[in-house]
This record gives sequence, structure tokens and C-alpha cells, in this order.
Amino acid sequence: MKLFGKKNENYTMVIGCGRLGANLANALSDIGESVAIIDKNPDAFRKLASSFGGLTVTGDATEISVLDNADIAKATAVISVTNKDNTNIMVALLAKKMYNIKRVVARLYDPDCECVYDEFGIETICPAVLSAKEIDKFLPEFDLSEKTEIAHTERDAKQKAGQLHTAAGAGVKDGGAYE
Amino acid sequence: MNKRILLINGFKRTKILAASLIKKGYKVTAINNNKEHCKLLSEIDKLSVFHGDGSRPFVLEDANAYNADIAIALSEYDEDNLVICELCKKKFNVRKTVSTITDPKKMDFFHRMGIDSVVCTITTIANIIEQHAFLDEITTSISSGEYENLKTTQISISHNEPCVNKKLRELNLPESSIIGCILRANKAMVPRGEMRILAGDILVLITLDEHETAAIKELTGR
Repeated sequence: MKLFGKKNENYTMVIGCGRLGANLANALSDIGESVAIIDKNPDAFRKLASSFGGLTVTGDATEISVLDNADIAKATAVISVTNKDNTNIMVALLAKKMYNIKRVVARLYDPDCECVYDEFGIETICPAVLSAKEIDKFLPEFDLSEKTEIAHTERDAKQKAGQLHTAAGAGVKDGGAYE
Repeated sequence: MNKRILLINGFKRTKILAASLIKKGYKVTAINNNKEHCKLLSEIDKLSVFHGDGSRPFVLEDANAYNADIAIALSEYDEDNLVICELCKKKFNVRKTVSTITDPKKMDFFHRMGIDSVVCTITTIANIIEQHAFLDEITTSISSGEYENLKTTQISISHNEPCVNKKLRELNLPESSIIGCILRANKAMVPRGEMRILAGDILVLITLDEHETAAIKELTGR
């Protein structure tokens, strides 16, 4: 797949056509890169610019046949930015382990499951950590990025403390609310 | 100490599995992220139930997943099952992990990720339905886990099968197939070449997948 007649060896695959995925795909397409974007919901592709010159694939990216349809084997980079952490982890692992893609990036809201992927050389982005760092730049006097880490563990501790015990049977314990 | 088994996500299958495992004397813990399902599950005697997303480390921690013997991931989403099994293996040191999957193409990937047993529920059920729909004379056919191409099939022999009254060595079975056992009058017999097949016998046929049809045809004529 060549765009704008430019000779280009790169082929980037974006999984998830949300705000981040669509923006990335648009930007890559604008600079003349080959891009494919996958989303379960065909309506999601409306977020793409009318000038988008890449491939759109409708389907569940956790299915191997869908990834094959989008020619994942030829990809030089895979960026997984769906709204489900587990999906991003699995797509990233599939790309790395089954297709030997060099650069694999996954967006993870909660970096709790690090031990699952840390040995595979997957690059991860955590929006909460990044935001904290940025806000920290605006408010240098507070050193916020460290504090948010603490807030995060405090939240977990609270959830654990908030477990409820019901009378029925052996009892139900509540893991509490989380995103 | 009793073996500890974790059942993570899934509802109907969890219910049946839990009841059966508890009966066999295992210590079973179920983790489910649906509150209603948790309440219904907690009605099962001796089953510990935890409410929460099993793919989150802190939920597994609450459920005391450390050093459990077996973790079975029963979610309908493959990605959740993968994360659950990997967490159990790497973080919680669970001895054996079992995952169900829906996409049969991912079987190899899951094995390569180090999950001990992978069960593709959809293909397994489809195979059973196919057997029941088409092959009356075959009572059960088991394809065994990782050695998918090995088939064990039970065949009931009635009066009009071509193999009746033939000696085993007279049969022209294809290669890579053998009659492993003859079940006759509630007795299991280890077959010899001189033995004759009688009407009413049940033959246990062991074959490689590609020779199964030819072997069955030789025995039953179909």
C-alpha cells in the first residue's frame, strides 16, 4: 500500500478508532505514512478526517482473522489504543509474540497488570501518569506526580477496606468500584 | 490439604463446575464481576464467592489467589482470560492455569504464552453436536487436548455391519488405526488378531484424524 506516490516502507497499524486512535491515524496519513485502523464499530471511523488515505478494517482486533485481514504481518508498528486494557494487552502480545512486530505500543489506563507484559518489550503509555507529570509542570511547587502515585495506592487500599460481607451462603466480598 | 481451585468469571459453567468440584472435595473459590451472579453463586454450599474483575491483581489478592493449585478462566472474552491466566501464573504463582477461548485460532498463541491448558469451548461443542447429528452408531468420540489429531471413538456394532463375524486380522483397517478394546457383555477385552467381532460388540477405535473416516467405513460400511 503506497500513499501519495511516496516510497514508504513503514506500515503502522492502529487498533481502536477512538479519539486517540483516530487522531494518530489522521496524523500518520497526513504525513504520507501507510496506516490501517481497526475498530469493532464501523461508525467509529467517522472520526477520521475526510482526507484519511489509509485502510479501515471493521472487526474485533482480538480475532486473529481480523488482524490477518489487515495484513498485520507486514506492519512495522502496532499501536493498540482501544478503551479496554485487557484488549490492548492481548493485541500487543499477539503482535509481539505471533507476528514479531518490532514496535508495539499499548495504551493502558491502569498499569496494574505490568507483570503480564513487561518481559516482552512492549511500550506502554498510561494517561493518568502522563497527565500527572504534565500538571506537575504547571504546578512545580507541589511535586504532584509523586502524590498521585500515592493517591492511586490509597484508592486501592480503600477499595479493599470497603468490602462488604453478605449473609447469603459463604458470603460475597465486594472488590469495590473501579474504572 | 485440599487442592484449591479458582473459577474466574463465567456464570453457568462456573455454577456447574463449582458444584462438581466441591463434591469431589476441592476447595473452590469463584470470582465474578456481576453482583447478581455472585449472589446466586453464593447459594452453593461451601463455595467462597468474591465480587470483582478477576483480571485485576487486587481482586485476585483479596480472593487469596496466592499459591492456588488450579486457576480456571471462564470469561467469554479471550483477552480477559489471557490476562487472568498470566496474572495467576506470574504474580500469584498458581500451579496450573486453564483457559477457555472462543477463537480457535488463538489456541497456539495461548499455549505459547505459557497457559497450561486451553479449551476452545465452541469447537468442542460443535464437534459433539456434529457427532450426535450424523453418527448414530458412534457413541462418543474424544479428541484429546493437545494431540488434536488423535481420535478415540466408540462404535456399536449391530447385525448388519460388514465386519460382523470377521476376525480382527481379516479387517482391512487403514494405517494409523487400531481397535484398542472390545466391550462385550459388560466386559472389556484386549483384542487379538484371532478374535471375532460379534453383533452387539462395542469397539474402541483409536485413529489419527485423517484415517478416522476410512476406518469407520471399513467397520460399519458407512
